[in-house]
Amino acid sequence: MSSNLIVVFIASTLMFAVAGYSSDPTENIRSIMVDNQIVRRGITHQATLRAMRTVPRHLYVPHEQRRFAYFDRPLPIGFGQTISQPFMVAFMTEVIDPKPHYRVLEIGTGSGYQAAILAEIVEKVYTIEIIPALANRAKEVLSRFYDNVSVKIADGFYGWEQAGPFDAIIVTAAAGTIPPPLVDQLREGGKMVIPVGSPYMVQQLMLVEKRGGRMVTRNLMPVRFVPFTRN
Amino acid sequence: MTDSRGRQFLSLGLHSAAIIAFQIALMQLISNVQWHHFAYMVISIAMLGFGAAGTALSLGRKRLANAANWLVPLLMIFSGGLMAIVFPISRAGIMHFDVFLLFSGGQGFAALILNYLIFFVPFFFGALAIGIIFMVKSKEIGTYYFANLAGSGAGGIIVLVFMAKFLPLHLPALIGALPVVAGLLLSNKQTWKQNLVAGLVSILLIVLLVARPGQMILSEYKDIALARQLPETETQIQKPSAYGFTEVVYAPLFRFAPALSLTFHGDTPGGHVIFVNGNYFGHVLQHNKTGDSHLLNYTTMNLPFVLGSKKRILNINAGTGTSISHALSHNAAHIDAIIENRSVISLLKNELRYASGEVLLHPAVQVHHQQTRNFLANAQSATYDLIILPLMSEFGGGAGLNALREDYDLTVEAFREMIRTLKPQGMISISTWIDHPPRYSLRILATLAQAAVESGILHPQDHIAAVRSWGTITFLLKKSPFTPEELQHIRKFSLEMQFDPLVLPGIRQEERNYFNQLNDTTLFNKVEAILSSHCEYNSTYLFDISPPTDNMPFFSNFIKISRLAHLSEHYATGQLPFLELGFFTLLATLFKSTILAIMLIIIPLTALKRKTQGKIGTLLYFGSLGLGYMFVEIILIQKFVLYLGQPIYAVVAVVSTMMISSGLGSLYSQRFQPIPATIAKAGFAIMLLLTIMLLFLTPMLQQTLAVNMYFKIAISFVAIGLPAFVMGMMFPLGIRLLSMQNPAQVPWAWGINACFSVVSTSAATLISIEAGFQTVILIAIIVYFAASTAFIISGSIRKWFH
Repeated sequence: MSSNLIVVFIASTLMFAVAGYSSDPTENIRSIMVDNQIVRRGITHQATLRAMRTVPRHLYVPHEQRRFAYFDRPLPIGFGQTISQPFMVAFMTEVIDPKPHYRVLEIGTGSGYQAAILAEIVEKVYTIEIIPALANRAKEVLSRFYDNVSVKIADGFYGWEQAGPFDAIIVTAAAGTIPPPLVDQLREGGKMVIPVGSPYMVQQLMLVEKRGGRMVTRNLMPVRFVPFTRN
Repeated sequence: MTDSRGRQFLSLGLHSAAIIAFQIALMQLISNVQWHHFAYMVISIAMLGFGAAGTALSLGRKRLANAANWLVPLLMIFSGGLMAIVFPISRAGIMHFDVFLLFSGGQGFAALILNYLIFFVPFFFGALAIGIIFMVKSKEIGTYYFANLAGSGAGGIIVLVFMAKFLPLHLPALIGALPVVAGLLLSNKQTWKQNLVAGLVSILLIVLLVARPGQMILSEYKDIALARQLPETETQIQKPSAYGFTEVVYAPLFRFAPALSLTFHGDTPGGHVIFVNGNYFGHVLQHNKTGDSHLLNYTTMNLPFVLGSKKRILNINAGTGTSISHALSHNAAHIDAIIENRSVISLLKNELRYASGEVLLHPAVQVHHQQTRNFLANAQSATYDLIILPLMSEFGGGAGLNALREDYDLTVEAFREMIRTLKPQGMISISTWIDHPPRYSLRILATLAQAAVESGILHPQDHIAAVRSWGTITFLLKKSPFTPEELQHIRKFSLEMQFDPLVLPGIRQEERNYFNQLNDTTLFNKVEAILSSHCEYNSTYLFDISPPTDNMPFFSNFIKISRLAHLSEHYATGQLPFLELGFFTLLATLFKSTILAIMLIIIPLTALKRKTQGKIGTLLYFGSLGLGYMFVEIILIQKFVLYLGQPIYAVVAVVSTMMISSGLGSLYSQRFQPIPATIAKAGFAIMLLLTIMLLFLTPMLQQTLAVNMYFKIAISFVAIGLPAFVMGMMFPLGIRLLSMQNPAQVPWAWGINACFSVVSTSAATLISIEAGFQTVILIAIIVYFAASTAFIISGSIRKWFH
């Protein structure tokens, strides 16, 4: 067990013990998570780091997984889906370089955590989930904190034409194709980011950019390696 | 227990058949709900059951022998009931584990152990019944051992028939009926009442489970489980078959679009999808007879067709016919399509005939239900314009789930055969999903280059081209060098589709990284190294990307034990399983089974403070037999997969032939006095036969690959049966010698034998991955040498000490 994991484990265990003495007992553990898992691995985007310190990740995972919520790994959320590991969420957010005026589309709401991080930073987040149970669960949590997130239960393949074009698109549910409608709904100069591979295995991140009508893809570091490079 | 020897033999045979059949059925079920890696887990659990039964016998020898009359039938009936019920129990929430979660944070380890224990129980009680019979009949062990082995051999065949006829969930209960019948057969005047009651309870349970088998609860990460999460999805057909449980799911939102060009603006189809054992097999696309543009034209897989029309095509492992449809859309005049899964062929020709646009019934298409190597061995030279291989790996990389699978279609020898069947202008097309760090693509290139050189192509770099999209790479190997016009066509195609050329004669470095940019240039550097025949291209890489051969046909395994230290210098050790799950599952199985074997067999036995002599000889002899027998069995299975064409045939043919032949050997051994000299002679005969196997088996199988199936079966029977016959003599001879010299050690010997068998199952696979099949046979020869001399050495040591 790495030293990071031990710190987070102890902090998670203490979290509920101190619940009565602090307004938000998870604030400290989020800080540890950001410092140890994210900043140490080179994420510098300030808005992303702020959002990661703010959003209570444990509220976005199923009850039985809450004690692992701040661990350095993806977690199952049911229906064969996962909530990405914290570093992965931060890395994807940094890659699209979100600005306050951005309109961002997310394909694959899942837990709703990525949408929440984006909602902390940008003007408007549109998120689509095909599995109704997941969409409803995420909608319920997100609506408690944000009024700038719209959740739709639909097939993400067609994107959200009425709300586009988008400054950035995050496709967390890619399966061997980049849907052509999404390419069309991306604003000129916009960025689309796609994690490739099973969340439990070696993942890489693919960035698709629209430059002068030409689509350019760029494979970034295999992200599973980055957090787990010896430290 | 009845005195009728006929009923005793029949009962023992039936019971033994059930244990083997249950083992194979459990492997099939676990492949369905989890992944096939756990097949090794099942084998080791079965062996562990035998080992622990030996321990129990050793500890309670006299009491169990005295109770044999009433206990043996009850144990059989009980194990039958357990076989029926353990799989349903394993579906309870508390027992649920998932392979991904095991490695990612260790969730589910307790459930995995519970699974081990629950599956262990029927094997333990089943084996205990056999062990007691062996113990009380140790003087006639040869005859009873024959019944045991012949029954086990028949069990392999029985389960194959059951798998073809019944749904997977029905198998345990149906197989569980066999030991119940076996137990009832042993009833006599004193025991018939108790047996009848126990038998009726078990039969009632079995009937209930057959009538209401419940639902198969799959890992939520299985392909079929993910498809079923999507709206409007409906399972339409479920077919049991010997190739695996085949299901057709209608899933309109589960789309087929393998790394389409970003220039594509149309819709992508969903529809009928075939899954085998819960794993994605392929989409059934409507073959478009109007000649409209095919979806695959927007993928790298269109590369061979931009170089002119291909009239005669061989489509290897044509799956659900997508590439056949693609070739037809390019006016192919004749397509030989190899589809190994007969169940899929039947679906596409019947139930899915219209959904597939009758693609397999097209007059230009000839479907061959055959293994590729068998087909190639019979194919004439200079026949094809194009050979298409299926898309390899999967989106985002293969996760190493196929690492342990022998893939004889992708060895240097296989590609040499393909090159032979190409016309002078013909070409091979092979595509792969891109993985990071690159492994599949580099191994494909290395294998193509090696096969080209071995086929007399002096400069492979002039004969190989490859194009890369954002998700896939397609390689072409052309028998003649690419012409300047062809190179121009490839560049034009790449530009239009926004792909990048990866390999072309005379390629410029900047051409490679234009549309789909890679930050890490390992792929490019290694491609250069392979093509310029740098010997170090493999040794300097973290992964093993050397070309696989028929001796080590593990195309999808990229890990070598010798490189683990090097790998963990680059990546944290705990993360290595995330690179290659299959290899590490095997390592974990070996580790777990060794620990459990020590805990359940060795420790209880060494705690037995019985003054016995010759423990070293017994340990060496029976340990070597356990190791050697399983080594030979596993290697023969792996060898005969190529020869007989289907893994399931190979398993049944090898296991059944070995069991029956060893049973006959056991029967024959009754004629001999159990003395060390006889044992040594039998051991040396085995060594001689294994040496012949080492030297001549591979060339013999290669030479006769093209002969008809009847000859193959005859050859297989001789090649497997002869050594197995002599190997079958060793165990009963040893037991008889031991029962004369030291009867207290008989159960201990049985336990030791099982313990080493447990470990050898995964060890044999690991050694064959690491060093090749021949090395495993060589080790088996050494191990049998140790067995041959064990009693002699042990006797000499004893004399020396005295």
